[in-house]
Amino acid sequence: MKNEHQLTKGLFLLLTLALSACTSVTIDQVKHVPSELKAGESIVVIGRRSGTDYETEPELISCIGKTLLKGDNPMNVIPEQEFVNRLYPWFEARTAPVHVWDLQRLLSFDEIAKIIDEYNVHYIVWVDGVTEKTRGGGSISCGLSPAGVSCFGFGTWDEKAEYEASVWDYRTKKLVGKVSSIADGTSYMPAIVIPIPLLAQVQSQACSAMASQLQNFFSGSPDQAN
Amino acid sequence: MVIKQHIKHILKLPLAILLLASTSCTSTLQVEGEFPRPVIHQLPLQVAVHYQDDFRRYRYVEKSEKRSKWEIEIGSAQVALFDTVLPAMFENVVQVSGISPQENTDIDLFFEPYVEEFQYNMPRETKVNMFEVWIKYNMKVYDGQGALIADWILTAYGKTPTAFMKSEENALNEAMIIALRDVGAGLSLKFSHIPEINSWLNKQGQLQ
Repeated sequence: MKNEHQLTKGLFLLLTLALSACTSVTIDQVKHVPSELKAGESIVVIGRRSGTDYETEPELISCIGKTLLKGDNPMNVIPEQEFVNRLYPWFEARTAPVHVWDLQRLLSFDEIAKIIDEYNVHYIVWVDGVTEKTRGGGSISCGLSPAGVSCFGFGTWDEKAEYEASVWDYRTKKLVGKVSSIADGTSYMPAIVIPIPLLAQVQSQACSAMASQLQNFFSGSPDQAN
Repeated sequence: MVIKQHIKHILKLPLAILLLASTSCTSTLQVEGEFPRPVIHQLPLQVAVHYQDDFRRYRYVEKSEKRSKWEIEIGSAQVALFDTVLPAMFENVVQVSGISPQENTDIDLFFEPYVEEFQYNMPRETKVNMFEVWIKYNMKVYDGQGALIADWILTAYGKTPTAFMKSEENALNEAMIIALRDVGAGLSLKFSHIPEINSWLNKQGQLQ
């Protein structure tokens, strides 16, 4: 009975800690010209992979795409891998167009233009950035006891997710704007017998923020969020 | 009966330890993946490709005492890549057992790739949380008479970030596939820009 009470107390403590493992998100949007995604038109969300010490995570790109597919105004989002495979080798890390004017060079090749037209692509969204651990602290030690392996201690770490999306208008071959999201959060790992990770959902918060900004970006509103 | 069971258990223990020791010492990776067909201009050439046995069965074995033991089998994956990329680059591609112009009189070019060097990095070895792979290829191209036209180095690079719940094998395989895609991109886009090949293609009137 006493054990059950202690367990409940422990769970309550963990729940309190879980609630405090929160994330703060800062978003920004710059729109140079009004942009609207009409019925039947598609967008492509692709991650930049040319950085030497980091790589925009495929799971973040997939998360943004899936979020844009849902909601009140679902968009036609072409899956990144499908698009990159269809247009192989033109959108690989070392061959992908870096500037919007590079698209003109690419489209001089009829076969590429044909594939992009087939998808009815209006906008190409390039996401650049990464989620990384910025600080870590605490210590957890584990040992072998007659009851088995048991751990004790407390660990904590900070994570920062910083992403920027450049939106290219495929029709006009112009950069129409940028959307950015910075998310910070602290995760905790108390260990009483077993380590219990209480993770700050930094990357998924950055994904939701980016997706919501992009939905707003393509809603056709003439507002300029400079 | 009870004693017999005890003996069975006693025998099982060293066997399990032995099995665990043998599996934890060396990690083996058979690189597997699919490669898309490149969207590129096709050259109207008959090309014979020769994969040497070393290339076809290329296997990297980590010999350094300071590193974890890895055996990475790349051969079949790299053959699959070249088998996808070359037919997109040239009108007709056949495999041959050697550079033998006498047996292949209608061939315009012979193509022979080699692996010069292979390297990889695990996240614990660098400050970057990344699995990285480098492959240095030597590409040799001969004309229909068997004379060497061009011999150049093509490097491939692939990386993949560490991810929660992803095994080292899966991550290294992913980095390998990205590196192989990179060499496919480099070969298909730069082939006609190699000075000696460009000059040969010009002579043949193959460049637009």
